[in-house]
Order: sequence, then structure tokens, then C-alpha cells
Amino acid sequence: MDSISFLRIIKIGFVNFWRNRWLSLAATMVMTITLVIFSTLFLLFILTNYSIHTISNTVDISVYFKIGLAEQQTQKIRDQISQDPRIKEADYVSAAQAFDNFKAAHQNDPLITQSLNELTENPLPATLHVKAKNLDDYPGIAQQLESDQYKNFVDKVNFEDNRLVIDRLNKILKFIVTFGIILVAVFALIAILVIFNTITLTIYNRKEEVEIMRLVGATNWYIRSPFLTESILYSIFSTIITVALFVPVYYKVLPKVIAYVSPGGSVYGNGLFNFAYLALILFALALLLSVASTMLAIRKYLKI
Amino acid sequence: MIKFQNVVKQYQDNKALDDVNLQVHHGEFISLVGVSGAGKSTLLKLIIGEEQIDGGRILIDDVDISQVKKSDLPYLRRKIGMVFQDIKLLPRRTAFENVAFAMEVCGHNLAKIKSEVPKILDLVGLLHKKDSFPEEMSGGEKQRVAIARALSHRPVLLLADEPTGNLDEVNAGEVLDLLLKINQLGTTVILATHASDLVNKIKKRVVTIESGRITLQQEKGRYKL
Repeated sequence: MDSISFLRIIKIGFVNFWRNRWLSLAATMVMTITLVIFSTLFLLFILTNYSIHTISNTVDISVYFKIGLAEQQTQKIRDQISQDPRIKEADYVSAAQAFDNFKAAHQNDPLITQSLNELTENPLPATLHVKAKNLDDYPGIAQQLESDQYKNFVDKVNFEDNRLVIDRLNKILKFIVTFGIILVAVFALIAILVIFNTITLTIYNRKEEVEIMRLVGATNWYIRSPFLTESILYSIFSTIITVALFVPVYYKVLPKVIAYVSPGGSVYGNGLFNFAYLALILFALALLLSVASTMLAIRKYLKI
Repeated sequence: MIKFQNVVKQYQDNKALDDVNLQVHHGEFISLVGVSGAGKSTLLKLIIGEEQIDGGRILIDDVDISQVKKSDLPYLRRKIGMVFQDIKLLPRRTAFENVAFAMEVCGHNLAKIKSEVPKILDLVGLLHKKDSFPEEMSGGEKQRVAIARALSHRPVLLLADEPTGNLDEVNAGEVLDLLLKINQLGTTVILATHASDLVNKIKKRVVTIESGRITLQQEKGRYKL
């Protein structure tokens, strides 16, 4: 391919796009809608997944030992509990450590510091934070910790059961995926049909030119490429529009939602997802749909 | 230059060409005559690879065109110019642009197009009409633009399928004179026509075709059926 032919093809592609501008607009819009739906569902998916991940991490069991127990005793029980194969980790904080932590946390508060200094003995219990390997093991573990076996040592077992929330989120995620695939598929099909029709009309409008091109010895490639150029233009424009719509969502709305779901959390830079990837995926999707439908139209209606 | 060897072309049950043998030499002017539907157009279409043969062989300069790859057909067509009864000019382009279009699609650069097209239009005697649109020209002039377009690749062979079919006597005469002139400049010409008076004027080789068969070949012949 020489550069003159390449430039001519691009030019013809633009001319075709412009001559059928209303149809081109319709094709671009349908493609844009498809991409917008895809992006929305994609973002929802990422967000839900992120929420599940975050909330799963917050589930744990806190065991508060009775005050006044000897350090040796609490450590012995800690070791006993840690041996449970269902447990992933057991984070032990001794009474003295808890006291130090508390003091450090409130060192700028003179009132608390003063009251602490007046204490003769440590009012804080030793604690054990237990994380299970499996979400479903939590109730069992909590039950065991509350049983008679530990009754003399354990003051309180605190178990926040977030499994219901997680369960619900999982259902939402499943719904998003199923519903998303169906919705994207339906709109992809509509986009294919609209682009197919648009290109077919372009082919029809240029029937004479195509016939003459063939007779004077234009290569098949030269005859076909302007139609492909036209469809690539749909992909480019629809990707640009979608990206323009989602830049504010990604940079303004998303951080707020993330902050709500997990204060201090961020989707940026931690590899969860990158906006450039989304743009690339969108363009690839648009290109795939429009080139595929154009190839279909060319095969069916463009006699070479 | 072109050899038809036992060529058969069939459309469903209808034999358009049946056992056709024909030889065309370099620089010849051949009139292919016969009534409408006799197979003249089919014969021309086979030469440019627009239709595939169902039997026999067609050799162009010893190349069997049924062996030419589909992707190479455009390059074959660049060596063969073709004009039609319905002319096929692009209505929204001027005479100059119509000729330029043929050169554009084959990848010639602008400088070459700008220097070549006026020469070709001059050859067909229409340089003064280069900025006219098809609707501003007579039938004969339009056909001469179409011939100019066919000549833009400097073809070795020019096929004319009823080029005077829609033209009155004066315009037809102009077109015929042009074809003869092109032939004199060295291009082989095959003229398919059913206009007997035209053929009788030419006094060159006449090939008569009837119901898909060549029935008569005569040097400096006359139209006879």
C-alpha cells in the first residue's frame, strides 16, 4: 500500500461518513449507548467487587479476656485457640500493650493522661482478634469461644456478622454480571444491525463508483477500505464520546462512592482498575462490533 | 494476443457461448457482430475476468486468465480498457475528474494525473470540455470521455460493448472515428455492435456470432446475418 492510496481511502471514508451524516450519527449514537451501558456496568462491577473485598476484610471476632488474668494464662489460651485449623490468624494484644496503645493514642489529651496516671492497675483487658479462613466458619468459631471451655477466662466475645451484607452484595454482583451481559449483548446486536444497514446504504449510494472502480482496475482492497474506514470512524467517535462522559464519573463521583464504602480507600493506583484500560477496552469493543458488521455488509452487498 | 480455445459459458440452462474459437492479434481492429443476446457482451466480460468460463481456455499473451488469481484481476483490467453502451460516467464529476478518477483509484499521484489527463482528453478531442459535467455534454462527447477514461492506463486492448448503441448517426460516427484512431496508434480494439452500417464503413475483420457460436469470420468484411 502506498501513502497516496492510503490517504485517498481515508478521505473517501470521511466523505462517506459526511454524505450519510444522519445515518452516521445514528450509528455512532447506538454504538455510544452500547459503550455507555458497558462502562456503567463495568464500573458497578468493579465497585461491588471492591465493596465485597473491603467488607470481607472487616469481619472478625474480638475476644476480650477477663481483667486481671496473668499474661501466661492468656497466652496459653491464645495458643490453644490459634491451633484451630479454621482460623487464618489470631492477633493478640496483651493487657499491657493495650494500655500502652491507649496511652499513646491519647497522649495529647491532658485529662485522659492524668486519669491514667492515677490508676493503680490496668483497666484494659487483653484481646485477641480472630480472622477465619472461610467466611462461613465465623459463627462456629464464635460459638466455641463462648462455650464453657473458655468461660473462666473470656469476658466477652464480640462478633460482628457482616455475612448478610456480603451475601447480599454477592447477589448484586451476580445480578450485575448476568444482567450486564444480556444488556450489552442486546445493544451490541442493535449496534451491529444499525451499522450493517448504514454501510449497506453507503455501498448502495456508491454503487456506480464501485462498479467503475472495478472496471478501471482498482484493487479489492482499495474498493473495500473506505467502508472499513467509515466504520472505524464510528468506533473512534463513540469511544471519544463515552470516555468524555465517564471522565467526570471516574474522577469526581467514584472517589466519593469509594470513600463512602471504605473511608480512606481508593481505586486509583492500587491496580484495581485504570481508566486508560477502560478506554482501551471500549475502543476494542467498538472496533470489533463495527468492523464485524461492516465486513458482513461488504461480503453480502459489495460485489467485487 | 488473445486466444479463445473451445470456450463454453453457461448461464443455468442457457449456453451463452458454445465452443468458441477465436484469435485476436496485436494491433487488430475486430468488429464482433450479432443480434442482442448472441453472446457478444459475454465474450467481452470473459476477457476482463468479470465472468468465469465453464469450459475451454482463454489466453491473453499466453496467460490463461482462468488461472489468474482474483486478487490479480485488477492488474489485468488495467491493461484492458472497456467502454459500454450506458457510458457509466460519474454524474457529479467533470470530464477531467472522471478520467482522473480512474487514475486515482489505481494509485497514480496528483502530478501524474494533472499532466496525463489533459493529454488523453486532447486525444479524444475534448480538452475544451474538461470542466463540463456529463449532463452538459452530448451523448457522443460523453462516450468519448468514457473512452478517455478507458485509455488512462494506456491499455494494450480496448473493448467497446455497443458504444454507439444510444447515439445518433453523427455522434456514432465520431465515436467510431475515435476508436479507429486509437487503433492506428497501436491499441488492439474489439468492437461489439449490431450496427450494420457502422461495421460496413470500417472495412476491417468482422466476426459474426449467433446464439453463442461464431458462424462467420471475414477479413475486411461486411455485416451479414
